[in-house]
Amino acid sequence: MRIVIAEDSVLLREGLAMLLDAGGHEVVAAAGSGPDVLPALLEHRPDAAVLDVRLPPGFRDEGLRAAIEARRRLPGLPVLVLSQYVEQTYAAELLAGGAGGVGYLLKDRVGRVDEFLDALDRVAAGGTALDPEVVSQLMTSRHDPLQELTPREREVLGLMAQGLDNATIAATLVITERSVSKHIGAVFAKLGLPPTDSGHRRVLAVLAYLNS
Amino acid sequence: MNRLLRRSAEATAELVGALRTGLPAMAGLVPLAAGLVLSFLLLPWLPSAVKPLRALANAERRRAGRVLGREIPEPYRPPSGEGFGEALRLLRSPSTWRDAAWMAAHGLTALAAAAVAVAVWPAIPFTLSLPLWWWAAPEGSQAAFITLDSWPKALTMPFLQGALDLGILLWLVPRLRRWQAGLAEALLSPTRRTSLAERVEELAETRAEALEAHGAELRRIERDLHDGTQAQLVAAALRLGLADRRFDADPGAARTLFLEAREGVEEALTQLRTVIRGIYPPILSDRGLAGALRALAAGQPIPVELDVEDGRAPAAVEAAAYFVVAEALTNIARHSGARHGWVALRREPARLTINVRDDGKGGADPDRGSGLAGIRRRVAALDGTTRLHSPDGEGTTLQVELPCGS
Repeated sequence: MRIVIAEDSVLLREGLAMLLDAGGHEVVAAAGSGPDVLPALLEHRPDAAVLDVRLPPGFRDEGLRAAIEARRRLPGLPVLVLSQYVEQTYAAELLAGGAGGVGYLLKDRVGRVDEFLDALDRVAAGGTALDPEVVSQLMTSRHDPLQELTPREREVLGLMAQGLDNATIAATLVITERSVSKHIGAVFAKLGLPPTDSGHRRVLAVLAYLNS
Repeated sequence: MNRLLRRSAEATAELVGALRTGLPAMAGLVPLAAGLVLSFLLLPWLPSAVKPLRALANAERRRAGRVLGREIPEPYRPPSGEGFGEALRLLRSPSTWRDAAWMAAHGLTALAAAAVAVAVWPAIPFTLSLPLWWWAAPEGSQAAFITLDSWPKALTMPFLQGALDLGILLWLVPRLRRWQAGLAEALLSPTRRTSLAERVEELAETRAEALEAHGAELRRIERDLHDGTQAQLVAAALRLGLADRRFDADPGAARTLFLEAREGVEEALTQLRTVIRGIYPPILSDRGLAGALRALAAGQPIPVELDVEDGRAPAAVEAAAYFVVAEALTNIARHSGARHGWVALRREPARLTINVRDDGKGGADPDRGSGLAGIRRRVAALDGTTRLHSPDGEGTTLQVELPCGS
């Protein structure tokens, strides 16, 4: 697929391009600062964008804001945001932008090349990829309503919140898909959420509930 | 020789003559010594003796402040230490003496001033009605300063006295009120010199604490980086080197080493993140204090209501404020058993006021638990003040003021 990346560190930018290239993708543009991001995205209309949260000139959250703005201008544009640290507020802001194709990962995860490319594929396909650290932040914060969950159900919820589908969850936990859907049903019942099939809507629902 | 002798004789006579004051002075030594010994023994109780005086002075500060329409600040430093040292400090402190001087001056004048103000009101109708009934009143009861014994007098003097009374009421009474408040302001507000002297003493103390805290922080960061991150990276580099050497002979083992090296690097990154958060939380530089506090509140296990004014402060102040709120919220989540938390942040030109309140079980003790001590230290390092109010069963309120001189 065609990808636009935004990263200010030349070394990391080249590395990312190399990695995406090796993964069979085409990097159509690479932006090095915040103001360059939006024009590049509007010009190339890529299949996915990989953006660093912190970009020059301000080195604050230019990348995140550019991502949100780009998704407002190009609805449904898949965006994978990378950051040196994760902040649950940022995840909520990204997801608040609406339908599909959002990822928010620690930069460290790039080192696990296969997992990173998987996450990118998921995002490009309109799914969600949330860093386990964001998920654990969410899980530790609003623990009250989650206390009724069994440890297994909590595990399933955690993986679900990362944006994984039932088959992957089943493979990760080494259980059958049927018991995964049973667990998910139980989680939804205990949290009072109507069950749906779309992975992304599940995450949205969970996030919305946890952030309430 | 003769001259020398005469001079000595004169001097002797003079010295004997000096006994006229010398002997009484010697006699006076006894009560003086007794007084000194007594006051020396009583000195440790001086702090307790000064307390009611300060309370009285503070009440007057508030009252006079209302009259003047401007606040009279307290000149006192918070008590430091106990007993003897504190007593000596109080004795040296000009505020103590100025308070005492105010007490004397106010004690001598307040009653008289109040009496004048109260008496002049009924005096006016009394005086002005004299022409109507003076002739019927018993001798000496109808007027204050003169005796009315004829109609001409009765028709002039009361009006003169009424005019005088009216003058007192309209001119003197308001001034008495202002003079009284002025006296309080002159003696009870911190003088430039006293406040400067006390500020210097206070700043020297907080500066020492700040340097201490800063040093400890630097040592902690150095230790974290050296023992954690750096060691992890060295180990990873070592594994990569080993993998390089084994790559041709045993690709399987080399791969294991590669994977271990990656894990080591990931671990190092995680530790680095923790260290960075401890130095200056990234969200703070991204979103400012208000945004960072919103993120903090959103991450709490109990609902936390935020009331935060936007606007930026110096980075050190914002970092301290963030640390205070984070620590306070952690305490609330861990120990208070509260169902609700409140965080309020007020930004004034010269200071930042933070209020963190909960409805938990209270009874927080700043001497136990490192969290509150940490807050106090960090706030003191910036010359701020920390107040904790935590009655049993009524929740806890933490109030922190940080100066951010602008």
